[in-house]
Amino acid sequence: MEIGNKIFTGLRGDKVVWAIVIILAVVSILVVYSSTGRIAYEQRGGNTEFYLIKQTMLVGFGLFLTWVCYSWNYINYSKLAPIMVVIAIPLLVYTLAFGLEINDARRWIGMPGLPITFQTSEFAKLALIIFIARTISAKQEYIADFKSAFLPIIFPVLVICLLIAPADLSSALLLFATSILMMFMGRVNAKYIILLFFLGIVAFAGLIIAGEFIPEIRVETWITRFRDFMTSADGGYQVTQSKIAIAQGELTGLGPGNSIQRNYLPAPYSDFVYAIIIEEYGLLLGGLGILGLYVLLFFRCVRMVTKSAKTFGAMVALGISLNIVLQALANMAVSVNLVPVTGLTLPMISMGGTSILFSSIAFGIILSVSRFIEKA
Amino acid sequence: MINVKNEVLIRVYTVLLGVVFLAAVIFFAAFKINVTDGEQWRKKGDELYMKYRDVEAQRGNILAEDGSLLATSLPFFEIRMDLVTSTDEDFEANVDSLAYCIATYVDDRFTVGGWWNELNSKRADGQRYLLIRKNVDFELMQRIKKFPLFNLGRHRGGLIVEQHAERKRPYGLLAHRTIGYVRETAKPVGLEGYFDKQLAGTQGKQLMQRVKNIYIPVNDLSEIQPKNGSDLQTTIDINLQDVTQDALFKAVNHHNAAGGTAIVMEVKTGAIRAIANLGRTEDGKIWERYNHAIGSLIEPGSTFKLATMMSLLEDQVIELGDSIDLEGGKMMFYKEEMKDAFYHNMRSTSIRNAFEMSSNVGIAKLAQTFYGPKNRAKRFYSRLQDMNLDIPTGIEIQGELHPRIKNPENKNNNWSGVTIPWMSIGYEVLLTPLQILNFYNSVANDGQMMKPYVVASLQSNGSIVQEFKPKVVKKAIASPHTIKAAQSLLEGVVERGTAKALQSERFRFAGKTGTAQVDYAKENVQTTYNASFVGYFPAEAPKYSCIVVVIEPKDNGIYGGEVAGPVFKEIAEKCYSLKMELHPSLNEAPPIALENYELPTKEVGAREDFISIYNHLDLPYYNNPDTEWTYSQAMNDSISLLTRVITEKNEIPNVKGMGLRDALYILENKGLDVIVIGNGKVSAQSINPGTRAKGQTIKLKLS
Repeated sequence: MEIGNKIFTGLRGDKVVWAIVIILAVVSILVVYSSTGRIAYEQRGGNTEFYLIKQTMLVGFGLFLTWVCYSWNYINYSKLAPIMVVIAIPLLVYTLAFGLEINDARRWIGMPGLPITFQTSEFAKLALIIFIARTISAKQEYIADFKSAFLPIIFPVLVICLLIAPADLSSALLLFATSILMMFMGRVNAKYIILLFFLGIVAFAGLIIAGEFIPEIRVETWITRFRDFMTSADGGYQVTQSKIAIAQGELTGLGPGNSIQRNYLPAPYSDFVYAIIIEEYGLLLGGLGILGLYVLLFFRCVRMVTKSAKTFGAMVALGISLNIVLQALANMAVSVNLVPVTGLTLPMISMGGTSILFSSIAFGIILSVSRFIEKA
Repeated sequence: MINVKNEVLIRVYTVLLGVVFLAAVIFFAAFKINVTDGEQWRKKGDELYMKYRDVEAQRGNILAEDGSLLATSLPFFEIRMDLVTSTDEDFEANVDSLAYCIATYVDDRFTVGGWWNELNSKRADGQRYLLIRKNVDFELMQRIKKFPLFNLGRHRGGLIVEQHAERKRPYGLLAHRTIGYVRETAKPVGLEGYFDKQLAGTQGKQLMQRVKNIYIPVNDLSEIQPKNGSDLQTTIDINLQDVTQDALFKAVNHHNAAGGTAIVMEVKTGAIRAIANLGRTEDGKIWERYNHAIGSLIEPGSTFKLATMMSLLEDQVIELGDSIDLEGGKMMFYKEEMKDAFYHNMRSTSIRNAFEMSSNVGIAKLAQTFYGPKNRAKRFYSRLQDMNLDIPTGIEIQGELHPRIKNPENKNNNWSGVTIPWMSIGYEVLLTPLQILNFYNSVANDGQMMKPYVVASLQSNGSIVQEFKPKVVKKAIASPHTIKAAQSLLEGVVERGTAKALQSERFRFAGKTGTAQVDYAKENVQTTYNASFVGYFPAEAPKYSCIVVVIEPKDNGIYGGEVAGPVFKEIAEKCYSLKMELHPSLNEAPPIALENYELPTKEVGAREDFISIYNHLDLPYYNNPDTEWTYSQAMNDSISLLTRVITEKNEIPNVKGMGLRDALYILENKGLDVIVIGNGKVSAQSINPGTRAKGQTIKLKLS
């Protein structure tokens, strides 16, 4: 307790953001424990505690990383950004070529000598966002210029997004959108951004054509998911199950651990975790509460902009939080059947090692920024 | 710089607005599913994955009068195996030892190698429901759960255990058919059949939810709890039942009969105390196969003569002392000749004697005289109706048949000129043994007919739910005068008549023999008989009535008096020994003048035992010592109890003169092994008293 108090009083940075991180972490442990019952039987012989312990340890380690990243002056990230991008690009190429295939998608690489897999796109994503923030803030004087400002930013965006896209289109699109919006907020000329939008469409078309020749590009999956979404009136099996879960929660929920639909929903611990949250905690607390937390996170980062003296910090926080909130919205949109199944996780909640760890790091960077803004 | 900051802020707020808008859209979508369309989706969820399952109620027990279990339900288990669910790794690591365990402990249909092949090949076939064994008790089931592979759990190991309940009869053959059964493929039989509804209880319902391919209960408790069946407390007296069954079995065996039945009924209440039914299996073994007592209609033969006599007496057309001409034991009725069972050349005798010697001619002649004329036949019929002989007893065992007594006014039943004489001696009528017994029981009960019953109460968890009290069916089946006469006739049969040889020294009983020819109407068939005896005991204060019917005896006699009578006597005598209340109290008799030599003396035993015996027998004694073991010494007209020193600590005790029960109690408490030779009292012991006791084996000689 004493140590806990000490840490809390000792913590600086935005207390609201801290609260958001901790609430999300606790919800993550509860919901993942509840929704992994079935795979615990299928894969672990009924050892339901396995996933509880695994997730608790992950989240614990994640929070530790948050604290580490928060302790570090965020200016350092700016310095590291170019190197991270330079590392990220070959890593993505390596993943595409030699990565581990899980669930038909090649997104992971193994760590030599360790039983850990690692999703390289998460690393690349973070690297790119910090890099964009750095470049925008460094070039504020002539940010409207095409050659000296726009091109240096857009080049790495296109490279990284195109490298992520074949195996993980959703993440690539999300990152692309985040990048465009960052540029928009960073005062890049609007007409270039509109141009970029069309460029994105051209790149996407090129990707689909390339998919004809390169099997690693999962064009088929995209088409099937999209067709499923458009053709079946009630959204097919998964969506039916998800809707039943959301409806069963009513306003106040069935209570923690009482989900019924977790047994029918595919991946109730990641893709459809929002439906399970509503089922167990209700539309108000679970549905509105969790949604609100993400929006609040973004709002807190917007608030930093109004205070920030230096553009880099504000940009990093905005970019990262925007990416988190957009991903969260995308994940929830799947559960409520607004968009086809994307495979995007709910940041900081869904089960999945890399996702939790990089979300934690992302929060740590935001908190680091908030700490120095407070000081200023 | 201000400009720049404002521009940034405007753009940031735009994005924030966009984010809030998207969030609102998502919340609206969730709201629509949750609230607007909520009902529809919830209903869909319930329909898809919930269902009700029946939960079996536990079937009630059937108990004897003293609470012994006659039928009960025991759980047993069916062991099956899902061969697909386990991983290759788990399966290969354990299949050898699993095959060994199954072959060794569960089922030796296959050898270890055979089971190994079976498991492997069925796994290759994708078998998910392989039967290992059907009938496994709880203990073995627990053991099977620990077998290699199975101990990994349902999902990794693939063990499937299904529970069923099996009906067990702890007393085996005893009252087997009366207890009966309910099976899916056969007509329900016996008490199980008659009380099926009460025994079965009501099924419960439980909401089950599908999880992958199996259904699991949503709640631990059933939505509708099963209501367990009631227990059935019968009136069956286990000891009497045992005696009855045993006596009947010996007779069926000795006379090489096709079967038989014996029923013991309590006179005052109509409670069935024992009911035995024997038949033969295809390979000739004697077995409880069919409930003859209630499910076989037989021509009663001579036992029916009592009904004829009572009818005549009731119509006041005869007196027992009237004389009758027996025609030398032969008489023609129209073209049919009737003969008495034994050759005699008797002419004139009393009606009483004609009945006691069971003369067919005598009874038939009387019946023909008074009921032969056409308009009088219905008089006989209505007398039989008065005695309830034309209706079933209503006993609560599934399958009682309706008696068949010919009605002269019914054109459909072949009424002929010889019907009255033959009917009067028990042919051309059909009754079940229980119906005949019930009639005799009414005579024993001074004319009051009781409803025979075999179920005393329905109980639930030991408390009575429904009680079945003795029920009077008819206050009087005949006038007291007729009943008195009938009782004296039945006593006469045993004192002077066809059952004279059966007399017992210990008590008097009354009854009637019967020997009915079977298949007399068929030509060229070897004549067979049903031998029967029905009566009650003790004659002066009837407590039990009993009927014995031996079906088609072939060896060692055929007549009721020599085949069925001894069974009746054996049952009666053993019953008399079992039932203290049948014995006249000793202290009602004048006190016996005691002589020295008549008193028990030189007996060794427990003081308390002696005292309770002496008190019971009202023997004078002096109770000097305050020790556990005593020695009795008769002196003049009383007994002294003297101290008997049995032993010191850790020494072999002195058990000479003791009964075996006492001797075993003492010796085995000392930790000794005891070997016994002979019978009687201990006359010698192999180790001398006073030797150190250290768990030796001691031999006792009894004489």
